[in-house]
Amino acid sequence: MIQDLLRISHVSKHFGGNVAVLDISFSVDEKQIVGLIGPNGAGKTTLFNCITGFFPATSGEVIFDTKKINDLRPDEICRLGMARTWQRVKPLGSLSVLENVMVGAFSVTNKARQAEENAMEQLKRVGLTDYASKSAGSLPIGLKKKLELARVLATEPKLLLLDEICGGLNHTETDTILDIIRTIRQRGTTIVFIEHDMKAVTSICDRIVVLNSGEMLAEGNPEEITNNPDVIAAYLGGGHHA
Amino acid sequence: MKQIALITILAAAAFALPLVIGENPYITGILISVLMMAALSSAWNILGGYAGQYSFGHAAYFGAGAYTTLILLTIYPTLNPLICVALGIIAASIIALITGSIVFRLRGHYFGLASIAVAEIVRLSVLNFDFTGGAQGILLSDVSLWGLDLNSKNPFYYGMLLVLVVTLGITAYLRTSKTGYYLQAIREDQDAASSLGINLSYYKNKSLLISAALTSVLGSLYGLYIRFIDTSAVLDLRLSIEIILTAIIGGVGTLWGPVVGALLLVPLAEMLRSNLLGDTLVKAGLVSETSALGIFLKENLAHAHVLVYGIITVLCILYLPKGILGLFRRTK
Repeated sequence: MIQDLLRISHVSKHFGGNVAVLDISFSVDEKQIVGLIGPNGAGKTTLFNCITGFFPATSGEVIFDTKKINDLRPDEICRLGMARTWQRVKPLGSLSVLENVMVGAFSVTNKARQAEENAMEQLKRVGLTDYASKSAGSLPIGLKKKLELARVLATEPKLLLLDEICGGLNHTETDTILDIIRTIRQRGTTIVFIEHDMKAVTSICDRIVVLNSGEMLAEGNPEEITNNPDVIAAYLGGGHHA
Repeated sequence: MKQIALITILAAAAFALPLVIGENPYITGILISVLMMAALSSAWNILGGYAGQYSFGHAAYFGAGAYTTLILLTIYPTLNPLICVALGIIAASIIALITGSIVFRLRGHYFGLASIAVAEIVRLSVLNFDFTGGAQGILLSDVSLWGLDLNSKNPFYYGMLLVLVVTLGITAYLRTSKTGYYLQAIREDQDAASSLGINLSYYKNKSLLISAALTSVLGSLYGLYIRFIDTSAVLDLRLSIEIILTAIIGGVGTLWGPVVGALLLVPLAEMLRSNLLGDTLVKAGLVSETSALGIFLKENLAHAHVLVYGIITVLCILYLPKGILGLFRRTK
């Protein structure tokens, strides 16, 4: 097992005078599932954007697989083996479901036939095989989230960053996605996971990092976090127990 | 593969067409225009239709080919024209690389606006330099290649046909290759594309280079064919816009859309220009020659083919947003 597959040290992100993320440090070991939680505006997605190269961090270091990746572009980071999904899904609307996943698969192969084979395999994993030839833009939100997952899996990431992959889904759909995530981890992929659904997070994560107003509030295993008075006050609402 | 077969069959038919119509310079001239516009629009489509980067400045690459070829042949009359075509590609590629490295940082409408600016810079430079002939343009008296009769139109018919077939072949190949998928991903969502490992600037520049190189070959051919060029003929914004309208009306981002657009628009423009429409209606007795409509048809409409393009475009955007070919595309 690799210790510190992803290490974030003292990362801050300023937009002009606004501090979106301040001095965040934590690390993720191989094959862990780490949850990143916090109220709206806590800076979770901004932190994802800093890690994946969409907004370079103002200061601090992001180390992936012993390599400093602060200055790399998103596509370079993806090809190193770190891939992300989007909170607001971004299907390639006029392409078919299969073609969407093929675009992901092309990051590991140059051959269209090989890409198609890999893509079909990923569609099977998330249960979208029947929709392969449908246009991606026409899918309902639950299936679009699955498509995001299949597409990003096709890039064969070592580390997967999931931004509210269960957002907007009902309980059955959430459970299906959580099952898929468990099997992804079993096959050796490390996962960092932004989520609002506390039940989903505590049921699946090994460790949880809590952000509040851009700063790190707590870090620990699910039990520690659900019993941490600061977390309960900031995130779950003052005075109530989870 | 199906598309490659279709391209081959239609190319064979187009190859035989001059034998059927015989020696008719007028018809051959119109056919050359159709082939040229189909090829120009197809070349634009690789960048605009597949990668979704709407260039409003393709006249710059057309002009680069035409001017490079004619300037070189004026200075070195014995030079092989094909070498001039190759040097034209290099000139267009240099403009494309400079343009791409600057304006591809911009997204959406800003790219379109910047592409107009670059093309206008090229046009105004050519207009004001001496070696380009300035506002007078360049007249080429004689040109020869392999003993072909370059005063006849047939060599240019086949030249344009060859470039069109090559352009369609490249497009058909791209559609089934990694590059083609990547270009379409960039068109649909640049952030998603980037997060899936696609180097945005590399693939945008690649499609621009292919598109610009093909466009410059057509410019060179046009220069050798007409043997007189000036900025209003080969570098005008009007040309860039006609290229785009042809693609939009036929079907942007489809293999055959630009061909369909050219088959419709070029003969239509010719009918308007030559007053064929007005004459026919008057002769058929449908419209009186002295009525207001008759005068309009005979006197004014000839100057208004761009206006008619505009009206067709508006109708297309309203009722056929995916172009004529969009009608036949299977809905998924």
